[in-house]
Amino acid sequence: MNRPQNAPDARPFGKAPAVFGALCLAAGAAAFAFGLGGERPGRAWQALLVNFLLWSSIAQGGVLLAALACTVRARWAHPVSGLAQAFAGFFPLSLICFFLLALGGKSVFPWVGEDLHGKEAWLNLPFLLARDGLGFLVLYGIGAAFVLQDLRLRLSAGNRGGALRRWVAGGLPTSPEESERLRRRRRLFGGLYCAAYALVLSLVGFDLVMSLDPHWYSTLFGGYHFVKAFYLGLGGLIVLAALLRGRAGGEVPAACLHDLGKLFFAFCLLWADFFYVHLMVIWYGNIPEETYYVIRRTVTPPWNALAWAVFLAAFAVPFLVLINRRVKSMPRPMFALGVLVLAGLWLEHWLLVGPAFDPEAVELPLGALEGMVCAGFLGLMVLAVSGMLRSFPELLPGARPAEP
Amino acid sequence: MAAEPRVMGLFADDAKAARAIRELAEAGFTFRRAHGPIPSDRIREAAGGRGSPVGWFTLAGGIFGFAFGFALAIFTAAQWNLIVSGKPVIAIIPFFVVGFECTILFSVLGNVVGLLVCTRLPDFRGLETHDPRCSCDRFGVLASCPAGREGELLEFFRKKGAEVRVWP
Repeated sequence: MNRPQNAPDARPFGKAPAVFGALCLAAGAAAFAFGLGGERPGRAWQALLVNFLLWSSIAQGGVLLAALACTVRARWAHPVSGLAQAFAGFFPLSLICFFLLALGGKSVFPWVGEDLHGKEAWLNLPFLLARDGLGFLVLYGIGAAFVLQDLRLRLSAGNRGGALRRWVAGGLPTSPEESERLRRRRRLFGGLYCAAYALVLSLVGFDLVMSLDPHWYSTLFGGYHFVKAFYLGLGGLIVLAALLRGRAGGEVPAACLHDLGKLFFAFCLLWADFFYVHLMVIWYGNIPEETYYVIRRTVTPPWNALAWAVFLAAFAVPFLVLINRRVKSMPRPMFALGVLVLAGLWLEHWLLVGPAFDPEAVELPLGALEGMVCAGFLGLMVLAVSGMLRSFPELLPGARPAEP
Repeated sequence: MAAEPRVMGLFADDAKAARAIRELAEAGFTFRRAHGPIPSDRIREAAGGRGSPVGWFTLAGGIFGFAFGFALAIFTAAQWNLIVSGKPVIAIIPFFVVGFECTILFSVLGNVVGLLVCTRLPDFRGLETHDPRCSCDRFGVLASCPAGREGELLEFFRKKGAEVRVWP
């Protein structure tokens, strides 16, 4: 294969990601199938829902950074912009998982068949699947269009490779005017992605998380969900950037990692702020229809222990560590912090979702099944991102930056 | 004993200024100080300076502000001792807002105090060796040399691409 001049090593990890991803995926799929055949198939479906939400958010939030940087012409993010776009490889898998959730029925949507006191017009399965599916299609379509324009500005002429790469390379600009047109389109799709992200992720927050307790509502829940998704995206990107440290073409400059760390710190605060504004309004109002949601998740055992774990992992520890300036440009501590935040927010998803499915729980419904399904999604993400980086090594930080 | 002659090299960018600072000692000259329109980590590292301690003032201000805000809210609530809407008189959740706002306020104040202390401001005498261009678009590197070597120091700066200014 003719390696393009601006592309660094296409396989900074060799075959390790493919092997690791496939093993994790196999373990996750086996655990999911085993769970479906077990005594409580609902747990398998709930694990699928939680991990679908978490890993899709990482992909959506990761691509958002690239779209935002392009829209506001943020030059500092150029070294990680390509890495952020590599998360778009998870979009098709996310879409498949969403439609797979529909098979879960009442195990995923506990309000099916319940008396919803007039909410049936909105909360019915066909309408929910149609609107959310359409939302995901629009979001991922715009995201893919944005990545396509950017790739066409990064790739060199005469590239060979897989079918996808050849198709992308088929539309490379041949004149400065065409390059300018691609840049305009990239900025347009970047801006549209940001808008679609806010709208679609708000809808997903309302439909797939908040509606699990169909009689409780918060108008801010959508905002909380998409802020959290960006926080997750930044965490995923930091983990990826730290993993590429020392790899040919994959080294993210310390200054850029530092900037990413500052943004991570800011969204740690913003995520906690969105939780706090919920808490304070509910505390002041003190209306039983609202307070039960918070009390069940933060005061009542066994969920209160989980709430403390989430508070420590996703806010307290990152907040205290990220105050330090130097740590933000050190890959190893940032890797550890990224993993900690991702784990904390995985638990946070369980905290939001779990009590709705099992209000009488006496112990946390977290075991090997949930962990294995999470590992399966990790495998999917590894395969998707490494596949993108293998097909388009121009996305690596060491490649020539896309024209601003 | 006569004072050592002082020469300032004025550079268009901080990378060249930092390189000159690193090579001054090797050439037998003494680096005195650097001036610039913006803070430069390159110059700070070349001059062997440590990071700014202003952040510690900010942190101390923030911690003090958080405690002060909470204490203020508790103190004022305890003065009235009124139960409103069945809420406890001393309630943590709403007092957090006062604590947070005071954190920001005192962090900023701590930052300003730190800046004044660390830069030794106000300085009514002014800097003897300041060139106005260092407040515009030039990085100034001030160095001294033994008497009789002024010409060599001037040549050193010129070779590094700087304009030069001699201080008596």
